[in-house]
Amino acid sequence: MNNVICTENLVKKFRRVEALRGLDLAVPEGAVYALVGPNGAGKTTFIKILMNIFGATRGRAEVLGVESTRLRERHFASIGYVSENQELPEWMRLDSFLAYLRPFYPAWDRKLENELVSQFDLPLDRKLWNLSRGMRMKAALASALAYHPKLIVLDEPFTGLDPLVRDELIQGLLQRAEESTILISSHDLAEIESFASHIGYLERGQLRFSEELTTLLERFREVELTFDTPPPLPKTAPNTWMHLSTSAAVIRFIESRFDPEKTSTKVRDVLGEARNVTFTPMSLRSIFLAMAKAARDPA
Amino acid sequence: MMRQVVNIFLKDVRHYWRECAASMALVAAFGWNEMHGWLHDEVLASGIGIGGLFSSRFLSGLVVVLVPVAWSLVVVRVIQGESLVGDRQFWVTRPYEWKKLLAAKVLFGLTFVNLPLLVLDVFLLAKAGFRPADYIVGLFSMQLMIVLYFMLPVAALATVTATVVQMLLALLIIVLYGIGMGLLSDQIPSSSFSDPADSLTAALFFGVCLVVIWMQYARRKTNKSRALIAGLAGVCVLILVATPYRTLVAREFPQLNTRQQPPFQLALLPAEKADSETAPEKEEEKEVEIHLPLSVSGLEDQSIAAVDGFMVALEAPDGFKWNSGWKSPGLSLFPNRKSTRIDFSLKRSVFEHVRHSQATFRLSLAYTLFRDTNRRGFVTPSGVFVMADVGLCSTESRYSRGIHCLAPLRRPKSLLISADMSMSTCPLLEGESPASAGEIARDWTRSGGSEPAEFGISPVKTVDLYLLDWNGAADRRSNGICPGTPLILSNPEPVHRNQIALQIDGVRLSDYRLPSAKFTIGSISIKTR
Repeated sequence: MNNVICTENLVKKFRRVEALRGLDLAVPEGAVYALVGPNGAGKTTFIKILMNIFGATRGRAEVLGVESTRLRERHFASIGYVSENQELPEWMRLDSFLAYLRPFYPAWDRKLENELVSQFDLPLDRKLWNLSRGMRMKAALASALAYHPKLIVLDEPFTGLDPLVRDELIQGLLQRAEESTILISSHDLAEIESFASHIGYLERGQLRFSEELTTLLERFREVELTFDTPPPLPKTAPNTWMHLSTSAAVIRFIESRFDPEKTSTKVRDVLGEARNVTFTPMSLRSIFLAMAKAARDPA
Repeated sequence: MMRQVVNIFLKDVRHYWRECAASMALVAAFGWNEMHGWLHDEVLASGIGIGGLFSSRFLSGLVVVLVPVAWSLVVVRVIQGESLVGDRQFWVTRPYEWKKLLAAKVLFGLTFVNLPLLVLDVFLLAKAGFRPADYIVGLFSMQLMIVLYFMLPVAALATVTATVVQMLLALLIIVLYGIGMGLLSDQIPSSSFSDPADSLTAALFFGVCLVVIWMQYARRKTNKSRALIAGLAGVCVLILVATPYRTLVAREFPQLNTRQQPPFQLALLPAEKADSETAPEKEEEKEVEIHLPLSVSGLEDQSIAAVDGFMVALEAPDGFKWNSGWKSPGLSLFPNRKSTRIDFSLKRSVFEHVRHSQATFRLSLAYTLFRDTNRRGFVTPSGVFVMADVGLCSTESRYSRGIHCLAPLRRPKSLLISADMSMSTCPLLEGESPASAGEIARDWTRSGGSEPAEFGISPVKTVDLYLLDWNGAADRRSNGICPGTPLILSNPEPVHRNQIALQIDGVRLSDYRLPSAKFTIGSISIKTR
């Protein structure tokens, strides 16, 4: 499978601040790739480099087979980019805005435009500055989907939106997912989990992991061990265990490399025989929080 | 190609129609004021009486200022409509082709700045009595100058600023820079005498404007573009400071060799009044004004010496030296002129050092010698008449006794009118005595360059010819030109440029000190009589 986005050792510095530290990331064709991470992790910087809004300090990024610094108008005709902080021509009425954009895109689909307008319940006769935040985001998304882009890049599209609007946006996106590759950065992990195929976790400019969502969900487990007499916590736990804690006769931790047999064996080796062992699957949100906490408090 | 350009252009028209309408209304108001200004008597009368604040002069001045402001607003707003500064603009990730975007902005500027101006110019020319079709090249030349001298720098600034407020801040910085350069220039001797350096600065200026616009549209490298502009400012300071002005003057105005006779001679005349007799000392004054009355002789008939620059060097017996550097006074010496005067100022500390010494002055003049050509007699007609080299003229005015002309596109390159004032047909005013035969008065109108048009908004230039330059009678300001007054018209042509020097020994500076009763700007001036 071809990669629609591929970066190698991508570094971006803003004066002394290193926003990205050698990022290697690949988004395969057809994927819905969710880039998650705490605030200031470098998600927006990364996306702006991909979109040739920023130049990288070092390394390279390829988008649709073209080096990002060489992206030109013909490439942008195949890319739909929407960002939460994008400045739209707010003085325009929505219908004028869409009409204005049409001639830029050879593949603009009027039928699809009408469908999107209808699906998002967009008021064509209102100026963009009179639209709510959610409406504006839907308008931006409609204007970025109406030409069947090969790549859709969304930077924090759900921030500050109510659940209904989020759902509408996701539905709109999912209907286009078959014909496009989607890169989405978001904090809204619960929503991401419902439709992302791949996920990357960015923290302090470094990619902690990047993999298929199903694989990720498979390898994270909340482990709970019940002992008759709880053993002391080991001084050095395996490095795949996170947030090791004890409470009465129960020891809990999060396993980040779960394998039913190997994890069971390792638990026995480190903590001894437990009366009861449970491995509970985790939500993406729980995984994200565990990762964020571990990063903040490595000890 | 054109589809995207037109699409962006039409979007801009929809967005900025108010700015465009205001700009065009101001251009129309300018045209109305301009035509009003041609009515000479009314303009002169308008400054008199009640309602002076809202007189046509005030409105005319206001409109002249507001038109470029409105144009600037149009240019800035339309460029910043697709801002080239920042990382949040929606359009940077849309399939805009930079050349088409730039073309759309250029088209907008041409449509809403140049086209209305061109229409106005054609209308004004026609209204003034000229055939616009005869001045096509000049009209387009004016448009080109508006683009080069006005729109290009405004556009360059607009490309490196995101908002009108940022633009205003940038302008404020530029104004402060200009003031700083002016102050610095005052401190650098001869810096006002720097045509080659000015040409280099202008070339750099236009080059940087073009590169900035290209860099912003093609690459959006705002920091680099801003650094380039800052670099230009720095280079201009370096040029100002490091230009070898005296070498340039020496090259442009070579010394006469020993076999060449100077075209005129100068000699110092006795001081008119000593300072102690004329004015009390004012210790708080930082500058002391000196004037040197000079006799002029030897200038051939039909020759004119235009003094482009002069330099005063002073050496006291104790070895103390002072030099004014080259200054550009704009003084002309005519054949039967008997005297002239050089005024200059120097720091009080310098004056105090040499005031009672027998100092040596060295006065250098850089001049262009003109030969009067194409002399012809001309009897001033009544009513409106055509004056070759100028345009349509009239003497009919209740307030002045001169010729008031409307010239198409530019003022005369070099037109000298002279008259024997004893032949003036103007009635004598109360208390005025008739001029003696041979009392010649002149007016020499010169505008440099040979471009088909002058820079400006209006294609119709007003040229007022008054015979104010009287030989030997500085206070004669009447008689003048009336219908029937015989004139001599000619077109002086430059022949050569040289330097002449006059050394004056044993001058006591205090004898030539001017009573300091006026406020002066600058350090040196020349008056003739």
